[in-house]
Amino acid sequence: MSKAWFVMLLASLIALVITNPNDAVTAMIRGSQGAVTLAITLCALYGFWLGFMAIVEKVGLTDKLAKILAPVVRFLFGKDISPKTKKYLTVNMSANLIGLGNAATPMGIKAIESMETEGQTKASLPMIMLVVISATSLQLIPTTVIGLRAAHGSLNPTAFLIPSIVATITSTVVGVTLVKLLGKVLPNKEKSKSMKSEKDGYAWSSTEK
Amino acid sequence: MTSYIIPLIFITVLVLSFFKKKDAYAAFVDGSKSAVNLMVGVFPFLLAIMMAVEIYKASGVSHYVSSAVGPVIELVGIPRELAELVIIRPLSGAGSLTILEGIYKTYGTDTFIGLSASAIYGSSETVFYVSAIYFSKSNVKNLRFAIPVALLATFVGNIVAVAMVRMMM
Repeated sequence: MSKAWFVMLLASLIALVITNPNDAVTAMIRGSQGAVTLAITLCALYGFWLGFMAIVEKVGLTDKLAKILAPVVRFLFGKDISPKTKKYLTVNMSANLIGLGNAATPMGIKAIESMETEGQTKASLPMIMLVVISATSLQLIPTTVIGLRAAHGSLNPTAFLIPSIVATITSTVVGVTLVKLLGKVLPNKEKSKSMKSEKDGYAWSSTEK
Repeated sequence: MTSYIIPLIFITVLVLSFFKKKDAYAAFVDGSKSAVNLMVGVFPFLLAIMMAVEIYKASGVSHYVSSAVGPVIELVGIPRELAELVIIRPLSGAGSLTILEGIYKTYGTDTFIGLSASAIYGSSETVFYVSAIYFSKSNVKNLRFAIPVALLATFVGNIVAVAMVRMMM
């Protein structure tokens, strides 16, 4: 992640210094402003969904959902998952499944937080699984695209749905399979590698300080 | 379809809270309390990504990279016109939506390219963004093979999406 960010930023800056230096700062500030706008929107969405999820939890629906999805959670994340984490994971996956990515995000953050053990710097297998599942999430109804297609005068805004659904299922299956395989093949004990990526982490988090 | 599902879930939950004599209002307020705090943790990552994606697009580097990558992805059946979408999609939802709109304007929504772009966007997620945000409150910074696997899986999904569109046309 930090490498991708670094290369992208450096290459863009060099290109702009050569072609159009006036644009460099403007573009970066424009992007930052976009982040502020998005953050405010997301604040509202997180607040709304977290509030709603709390009611769901209060009436005991989360426990029911967790029970229904227990076999799925066990298959994906293994047995050593605390009941609290299980709840977060269940809500996260259900929200993703019905296309509510923004409702899923707060639960994903909480799930990662609750899976973390003290002094841990490398992601555990369940954490990796959660990232891969969310990043390849099953989107059964991509409402944004349907809306945009209609807005651009498509005669059949949902014409792409079948390819889209087959593709999203494929990517999730490939992702889950790879995590399962790599989790068995690659042991989580490479000392030299963990040192290196620790530096990576600092580079990423301290760039603006 | 979704326009019915969500409100119906809401009604069910509210009715349940009434019968179980739980204070829905208090629960809601309590739950949304953590939203701003959560955003404070997420914001620096949001800013870093969106700032970089914006200058990446504005500098023209995105175009160069896309025209270099185009012939490569054509080998697996993805039209070279979709290179930029395939590259930006994992980085930024807003950034790739602009690209998708550009594709609709240039090639139309119901052409092979327009449909392929729709299927690619609809079936994939912002991989980098999701992984940065999910770990925003955590000390874990080494995600091991999470991102490569997610990217590879997404790319396989892209290939399948285009292949399916081709079969349907």
